[in-house]
Amino acid sequence: MQPLSSWLKARWPWLAVLACLTLAPAFLNKFYLGLMVQVFILAVFALSYDLLMGYSGILSFGHAMFFGSGAYVVGLLLKGAAWPLYAVLPVIIATGALMGVLVGIVTLRVRGVYFAMITLAFAEVIYILSASSQLRPWTGGDEGLHGIPVPAWMSPTAERVTFYYISLSFLVLMYFLARRIVNSPTGRVLIAIRENEARAATIGYNVFWYKVLIIVISGVLAALAGGLNALYFRNATPEVLGVGRTIDALLMTIIGGMGTLIGPVLGAVVIRVLGNYLADWFGPRWPLVFGLIFVALVMFFPWGIVGTLRQRPLRGLAQWIKRLSRGAGQKAS
Amino acid sequence: MTLETLVNIGLQGLTMGMLFFLIASGLSLIFGLMDVLNFAHGSFFMIGAYVAWATFDGTAAIIPFSDLRFAIALVAGALAGGGVGALTEWGLIRPLYKRPIFQILMTLGLAYVLTEVVKVVWGASGHSMARPESLSRAVDFLGRPFPAYRLFIIALGLAILLVVSVLLQRSRLGMIIRAGVENGEMVQTLGINVRRVFTLVFTLGAALAALGGAAAAPFVGIYPEIGLEYQLSAFVVVVIGGMGSFAGSAVASILVGLARAFADYQLSPLVAQAIIVAVMAVVLLLKPEGIFGAKKGGGL
Repeated sequence: MQPLSSWLKARWPWLAVLACLTLAPAFLNKFYLGLMVQVFILAVFALSYDLLMGYSGILSFGHAMFFGSGAYVVGLLLKGAAWPLYAVLPVIIATGALMGVLVGIVTLRVRGVYFAMITLAFAEVIYILSASSQLRPWTGGDEGLHGIPVPAWMSPTAERVTFYYISLSFLVLMYFLARRIVNSPTGRVLIAIRENEARAATIGYNVFWYKVLIIVISGVLAALAGGLNALYFRNATPEVLGVGRTIDALLMTIIGGMGTLIGPVLGAVVIRVLGNYLADWFGPRWPLVFGLIFVALVMFFPWGIVGTLRQRPLRGLAQWIKRLSRGAGQKAS
Repeated sequence: MTLETLVNIGLQGLTMGMLFFLIASGLSLIFGLMDVLNFAHGSFFMIGAYVAWATFDGTAAIIPFSDLRFAIALVAGALAGGGVGALTEWGLIRPLYKRPIFQILMTLGLAYVLTEVVKVVWGASGHSMARPESLSRAVDFLGRPFPAYRLFIIALGLAILLVVSVLLQRSRLGMIIRAGVENGEMVQTLGINVRRVFTLVFTLGAALAALGGAAAAPFVGIYPEIGLEYQLSAFVVVVIGGMGSFAGSAVASILVGLARAFADYQLSPLVAQAIIVAVMAVVLLLKPEGIFGAKKGGGL
């Protein structure tokens, strides 16, 4: 047991941030509190994506299906079936886990780009079905579900401060959960799989089930974030299942720095808060700016904010210029 | 279903199949040769459609003959796509050959950017493009009228199929490409600059996709989501046909086009799309290298 003073010394920046966030409702107005809530929700979504891409080296282009399913479970059960909220929670978790198991078992037979394609395909099928007019009586078709009834004590409009604390605790809880997983023996195996799958298998780890496990965990986290998202906006539209959502997760993870956990959380802050201002400056086409930032990051700062700070900055830029000037003479690999 | 309906739907399917083929052939060759799964390939299709439409409408005041304007629009669309493709390979893909996972991320980000650029330039809503005069008629086909424009798309697709096959099978460049798909490092070792061939194939593939977009514009309309929509179908085609196999993507395009046409007729287009994507998933699982698979392994 280390003494309290050294524990505090090592962690004071985090405690300071947490204290600021806890006190924030005293200083921020409703609009900014709402923005923060969205940041927290997106942060958990990005966090779950980082567990896959950053820690396990699994490139999924269909992560929106978990997020969107969480949202639709909330919408269908609260609005359609009028379930109480506490009963919906286990259903979200079960849905995320079940989808994770199915997707994992089915898709993990293929690897690399094939995996990216097949996850994209699965997500797209679910997206298409959610928007199809045949399912309109249940899902609301391409308009989605609106006016989801949220219990009065946590109403996102009237009781926004309560909702703020709920989503803040949700993020903190999920962050520590993810960190616990990453630092556990299982997490170490996952990193080993990312670094060299064949070697991890040779040592005797059952690579397949480790991957399924992390897809399930990541899926549950994303589904929970999606569920909270549906509660906050009181709707679930096909948009939460679309490719754009997956790209959001990718963007946040890449901007913040993959394989760092805190990076994607920062990425969510950047995306949501900056996006808010960009919308003012650039009008409806502000996502273009994000796209350009994304391309530039992939090119020059592939390890994102956190990753770049930990490495030597600007190395990517220098390399790019050098490679381009060297021209076509390089060997393919 | 009468015979005439059958023929009509068959021709519709063939039309769609040819459009799929124009995107899928480039996608397949690029993956086969360079191991780059280009998630921005549909964007080239979209660019082709927009540029062709803009050229067609923009030159209306100068050139009175709509047929000539249409021909110019097709060429302009293909050139624009090829140009953007060349720039993409040179500036964005080439520096990332050592980091394949980032190549995919790059193409996905690029698809996002190009869609947004198109929205900035031409607006987020859709447009429609008139057909040239000589192709806006209907032709009698087995006693039923069939739009001449669809026959034109089929003819264009077959012509491109023929030209590219000859290029691949009978030219020195084609030999290098085929050898490169088989074993790129060996080709490099034999003293051939594979990187230059990469740029060439990427440009050619982008130009073909853009040509497809240009030809599709008067037929399906012009809207920003057209890229992703057709790209998804092209993925299905490439997976079924086998990554890197030109003949495979030709056959699979026609199969998927026909399947789509019949499913659209019997079910709703959305459900048809979902079913076909599901078919791709099944093929991926059972035979990841595709039915005509030329290349093994998923890369990365």
